Amino acid sequence: MLIFSVFKTLTDQTVSVELKNDLSITGTLKSVDQFLNIRLDNIKVLDEGRHPHMMAVKNCFIRGSVVRYVQLPAEHVDTQLLEDATRRETAATKR
Amino acid sequence: MSFFGFEQNNDLENEKRRFLEGGLSGAKQEDVAVYTWGEESYDGLGDALQEGGDELNDETFGAAEDIGKDFDFSGTALPEHQRAAPHQPAQPPERGSSQQQTSQTSQRASHLEPSHSSQLDAIWGNKSPFSVLPRSNGSSRTVDQLATQSPKYTHKPSSLNLGPDLHKGVHTLEEIEKEMLAAAAAQQRRQQQQVDEHSVQQELQEMQLQEHMLHQQHQLATPGLLQSPTRAHAQRPPAAAAAAVGIQNTATPPPRMHPHSQSPRFHQQQQQHQIHLLQMQQQQQQQQRQLLELQEQRERQQRQQLLQLQEQLKLEELERQQQLRLQQQQLQEQQYIQNHLLHQRGISPALSDLHHRGMSPAMGERARRVGRQSPAIMSPQGTLDVPFAQNMQYLPQNIQMQQRLLAEMAQAEFLSTMQGPGHSERDLREARELQEMLRVEAMRKIMEAERMEEKRKRKLDKIAHMSRYNDLMTQSDKDFITRIQVSQLVTQDPYADDFYAQVYGAILRSRMGIATSEDRVLRFGSGGGVGLGLAQKVHGRRQGAMQRMEAQVERIVNNARLREKEKTSLNNLQGALGRTSGRSYKAAPRQLLQVDTSNVSTSPTTSHATAAHISKADSTKQEGEGAAREAAKMGREALATATEGLVRKDPLTHREALVKLEHLYDLVLDVEQRRRDQPPLEEVEEFEHWTVECNAIIDQIFDELMVSVPLETSHPHPFVSLITPIKGKKLLPRVARIFELQRMQVLLTLIVACFLQLDVVRQAPLLDSLEETREVKDLEVQTQAFQNSVVQSILPVIAKAQMRLVIGLFGILLDECTVHSIAMTRVSRTPGIALLTLFLSRVEVLRHNVATGSEVEELPTAEEMQRWHMMYNLLFDMIRPNLQLLFPSVRLALQANTSFVNIPNADVIDQPVWQFLATLAVHANEEQQQALVGGLREIVLENVATATKGWGNDSEERRRLRLANVNIFLHALGLDSSQITL
Repeated sequence: MLIFSVFKTLTDQTVSVELKNDLSITGTLKSVDQFLNIRLDNIKVLDEGRHPHMMAVKNCFIRGSVVRYVQLPAEHVDTQLLEDATRRETAATKR
Repeated sequence: MSFFGFEQNNDLENEKRRFLEGGLSGAKQEDVAVYTWGEESYDGLGDALQEGGDELNDETFGAAEDIGKDFDFSGTALPEHQRAAPHQPAQPPERGSSQQQTSQTSQRASHLEPSHSSQLDAIWGNKSPFSVLPRSNGSSRTVDQLATQSPKYTHKPSSLNLGPDLHKGVHTLEEIEKEMLAAAAAQQRRQQQQVDEHSVQQELQEMQLQEHMLHQQHQLATPGLLQSPTRAHAQRPPAAAAAAVGIQNTATPPPRMHPHSQSPRFHQQQQQHQIHLLQMQQQQQQQQRQLLELQEQRERQQRQQLLQLQEQLKLEELERQQQLRLQQQQLQEQQYIQNHLLHQRGISPALSDLHHRGMSPAMGERARRVGRQSPAIMSPQGTLDVPFAQNMQYLPQNIQMQQRLLAEMAQAEFLSTMQGPGHSERDLREARELQEMLRVEAMRKIMEAERMEEKRKRKLDKIAHMSRYNDLMTQSDKDFITRIQVSQLVTQDPYADDFYAQVYGAILRSRMGIATSEDRVLRFGSGGGVGLGLAQKVHGRRQGAMQRMEAQVERIVNNARLREKEKTSLNNLQGALGRTSGRSYKAAPRQLLQVDTSNVSTSPTTSHATAAHISKADSTKQEGEGAAREAAKMGREALATATEGLVRKDPLTHREALVKLEHLYDLVLDVEQRRRDQPPLEEVEEFEHWTVECNAIIDQIFDELMVSVPLETSHPHPFVSLITPIKGKKLLPRVARIFELQRMQVLLTLIVACFLQLDVVRQAPLLDSLEETREVKDLEVQTQAFQNSVVQSILPVIAKAQMRLVIGLFGILLDECTVHSIAMTRVSRTPGIALLTLFLSRVEVLRHNVATGSEVEELPTAEEMQRWHMMYNLLFDMIRPNLQLLFPSVRLALQANTSFVNIPNADVIDQPVWQFLATLAVHANEEQQQALVGGLREIVLENVATATKGWGNDSEERRRLRLANVNIFLHALGLDSSQITL
C-alpha cells in the first residue's frame, strides 16, 4: 500500500517506466491501481530506433507485473516522508 | 444565374431555359436564328454546315457507322474550325451581340410567324425519344425533384409533361401523333408564356439545387449522417447534366483553339467526356434508324414530314455538337487566357468592374452582354465541372472549391474577352506553367479535402463499430466490479495505510496556503476506510462515484460482518442431530474482505489471522529477550558507574548507530502520531493517560539519544556517533520539537562539549580544496545538513540561553581550543564560525538588555560580564594572527595560488565570516577594532575596489553582494564602504 500511496501523489507527473523486456517508456502518469498497473499518457520510448512500432503509440496501460523500475521525479518525492512511511509500515507489519 | 447577379435580364436566359426545358422546342426559333446569322457577326459556320438538300439524308440517316469527323472533338482534325478561324479575328466582342440578335429574331419569329407553329408544335409536344435524349443525362430528374418540391409548379408543365412520360420509355408513333395533335393548339397559345414560366422555373430549380447542395454540405459537416456523401453523389449528376445542356444552348464561341495549352490530364478528361457524348449520339442515331424503319413500314404518308423533322433534328444536333465543341475549345482557351491574366496581374473580382467602367459605354455594354452570355459566367460551376465530373467523387468541399476556382476562371475569361487574342509563344509557355501550377494546387486541395473526409468517415465508422458494444454491461455489473476493486483498497486504518499520500498532501496544501486539517480519507462508520491520496479537483461525476463507492463498501463490510456472525452461530449448532446446512460449500472461495474482525468476534476466524497472531507473539518474545539483555547490560553499566564512575566503551559502529537511529525514528514517529491523536482536554482521564504515555516515550528517546552518557564513555561520544549520519542530523529538529527546553540545553551542552568530535568539524579542513573528490562532496552535503538541521535546532535554545549558560558553553569551546593546538583551525571553519556567531550575537542581545533594562528576568551579573570579557579577549587573541585565513575564499586562493577574488562563489561562502567578524567587532574595544581593521584592511579594500570599479567580469548581483558583505563588517565598526576612497 505504501508504494501505491506514493504513486497516488505522483499523478500528472512525468515518470519513466522500465519494463522487464528492456523497454523504457517515459510519459505522464495518469493513474495507478493497487496492483501498480500504470496508465501513461504522451508516452515516448527511450530508444525509438529499436522500437519503431512504439512510435505511433500515444498512451498505454502497463500491467504492474511487467514493470522492473519506475523512475520518479525527485522534486516530487519527499524522501524523508517516504522514509517515515516505510518505518511506519515496517512497524505495522512487525506488530 | 445568381452567381453574378444577372438574373434580372432574363431574355437570353429565357431562351436558354426554353431550350433546356423544351428540348427541341426551340427548333423553330433555332432554325430562324441559324439562318438569320449574317450581318456583322456571321462566323461562317453556316457555310460549314451541310444543309439545304435532302440528297444527303441517306448518308445522314442511313449509315450511322460512318459518322465522319463531325464528332471528333479531340481537336486534331477540325476542318470547319480551321476554315472558320481566319474569318473570325475579332469574334469575341461580337459574339454577344450576334447572340442577342439571334434571340431577338427568334422571339420575333415566334410572334410573327404562326405558319411555322404547326411544325413547332409537333416538336414541342414531341414525346419521342429524340426529345428525351438531349436531356437523358439526368436533367429530367431535376424536373421530377422540382415537381415534388414545389407543388405550385406541378400543374403548369402539363403541355410538356416531361416528368412522368420519361419513365415510360419509347412511345409508339400513334401515341406520339395523338399527343402531338392534342397538344398542338394549346401549345401554340401558351408557348411564349410557358417559355417564360419555364425560365423562371428553371432558375428556381437551379437555385434550389444550389441550396440543396449547400444544405448537403452542411449536413456533411455535421457528423452522424454517414450516407450524405453518397447522397451528394447521387444528387450531383443532374446539376452537371443541366450545365451540360446549358453548354449546348449558349452562343457559338470563336474557334480559337489551343489544344496543347491543356495539360494531358485535362485533355484526357475532356476526351472522356467527348467519348461519352459520342456514345450517346450513336445510341441516338441507332434509335433514330430503328424508328425510321418503323415509320416507313407503317405510315408512308407521314414519312416526308417526319423526315423533315429528322433532318431538322439532325441539323440541330449537328449544330449543337458544333457548339459544344466550340464551347469546349472556348473553355480551354479561357483557362489558358485566365492563366495568362493571372500571370500578368492577378485576378480580383473588382477588376472586371474596373474594366467596365474604364471602357466606352458601347464597349461596356457589349462586354456586359458578352459576360452575360459567356457560358463560364452563366453557369460557372456547371460548365467547367464537366471535365472534372467524369472521374471525381462529388465531395461537397471539392465542389465548393471548384466553384470558387471556376468562378475565378470565368472572371478571367471575361477579362480575356476584353483583352482580345494574340499571345506570344513565351506567354503561352508561361501560361501553361501557371496553369499546371494551378491545376496541381487545385488537385492538392481536392486531395486534401478527400483525405480529411476519409479520415472523418473512418472515425465515424469506428465509433459506430464500437458502439455495438455499448451497454453490454449493466449498471449492476459495473457496480460488482467496482466493489471488487474497492474492496481491495479497504483497510482498517486508512490513514496509516495511506500515510505518505496523506502527509504529502497535507504538506502540499500547507505550502499552497490551503488550511485544511482534514484527512483525505474515506471512513466507514463500521471501521475501515479508503485513503484517497492527494486532493484532486472534484468533478461532479467523481463525487457521485465517491458516494456510490462509499455506500457499496459500507455494504460489503457489513455483509462480511454479518456472515461472520452467522458462522459463529452455526458453529454453536455443533453436535446437533441431523444435517445442518452450514456454509461449508461457500467456505472455499477467498473472502472478499480480509478485515481484522477480532473486535467483532473474538474467535480467530482465518488461518491468516492466526498466523499473524503467532508471528506477533514471536516478535514480542524476541523483543522481550532483547529488552532483557539490554536491561542486564544497563544494569551492569549502572553498577560499573556506581563503582568506578565510568565504563569505557567502544564507540558506536556505523551500523549500531544506524540501528539505534531507526529505533529512535520509530519512537519519534510514535510520538508524532500520538500527538496527532491527542484526545480533547475535557476527557481528563484519557488525556492524562495519553500524556503519561507520551512522556514515557519522550523519556525513552532522550535516553536512547545517550545525551546523558558521560563524556568520557567513548570517543567519539555515542551521541556524536548518532548524529554523524545525515539521518541522525535530520532527526535533531524533530526531536527538538518534542523535547522541552531543559533537555535541549543538555543536548546543546553536549554538542558544544563534543564539538571537536563532530565529523563536520574534524574534517572541515578538507573543504579548503577546489578539487571535487567524493569525500569533499560528501562533506559538503554533511555540512549543509549540519547547518540546516543541527544549528537550526539549537538556535532557539541559544536564543533563550542565559548569560551563565552562554559563558559556560563559550568556556567549554575555548578550553578545547586552548588544549588542542590545531583545534582553532577546525573551529574557525564554517560550523564553528556559525556557533561562535550565535554565542556572540546572544551576548550582544543580553548586553543590550542590560543597557535598556528590559524585561528579561535574569540579567547577567557584573561578574559574568567580567568573565565574558576575559573569554572574548582570549578568543580574539586566538583569532587575531590569522584573521584573513578565516575567509574560505582566501584559504582556497592560497591552495590554488590565485587571488581570492578569483574564487568562484567567494562572496557566498564568505558571508558567514563577514557576519562573524561583525559580531566580533561589536564586542571589540578600540584597540581590538584597530587590530581588526588592520588585519582585514587588505581584503576590505580589495573587495570594495572590485565591487565599485567592476574589475573582472562580475555580474551586478555579485558586486552588490560583495559590497553588502563588506558593509556588514564596516557597519559594526560604525563605518561604511562609501567612506573608503581608493
